[in-house]
Amino acid sequence: MKDIRNKYREMVSQVPPEIKEEVDLSFAISNKIDALMQERGLSKKQFADQIGKRPSEITRWLSGQHNFTVSTLAMLSAFFGKSIISV
Amino acid sequence: MSEVELVLVNDTDKCTIYTIQFSEESETEYERFYTKFIEDAQLNKDLLRIVQILDKIADEGALERFFRPEGKIRDSVVALPVLRSKLRLYCLRLSDRILVLGNGGVKNSRTYEEDDSLRGYVMTLQKFEELLKEGQRDGTVTVTSKTIKTDKTFKL
Repeated sequence: MKDIRNKYREMVSQVPPEIKEEVDLSFAISNKIDALMQERGLSKKQFADQIGKRPSEITRWLSGQHNFTVSTLAMLSAFFGKSIISV
Repeated sequence: MSEVELVLVNDTDKCTIYTIQFSEESETEYERFYTKFIEDAQLNKDLLRIVQILDKIADEGALERFFRPEGKIRDSVVALPVLRSKLRLYCLRLSDRILVLGNGGVKNSRTYEEDDSLRGYVMTLQKFEELLKEGQRDGTVTVTSKTIKTDKTFKL
């Protein structure tokens, strides 16, 4: 099978550090929320109901591509009783 | 009728990423997508964000929550990114561990079906998924938990 792994690596190396950091951070936050939801045994719908959001909002948060505001992160930390990110 | 082959893009412990290449093209579909937008002053950042998202997906697995559902209910076509851009890369998410990248473009219409190019990219992946299933039935394609094994040239 043909293989373009080297070309793929070249493409990834073109990503500027600020985009890399942004994507890494967004994925880390969404993974944290997903883990906390699982820990509490919450479905997307149950979680949305408990915090007064629509399930589509939770879908965006879990996509690894959402630009979270400080107020959303603070609300989530308060809800789960745990920090979502640490500074 | 065009001939298409499967090409390996990246493999990690969590996920194997493939793309496809038409026999008449010098680049794979994913490379053609990249080449189309890398010099585009307006879309270059959106493209590189998709490149980085794919690299994260390689590390995390092709989990459903990372993609925007596209195509029809019966197929596995999805798109990236979920948010913040009109640029779309279409993919086949065959499982959490197998992803096939297609081509993509700018989505200015409400649905991909209203745009001839985007509809073409999605249809290519839909047909390719059908051919993979056919290959599994006749034994020319083997899909394991994390890989697709085939030397077949598909007639699309």
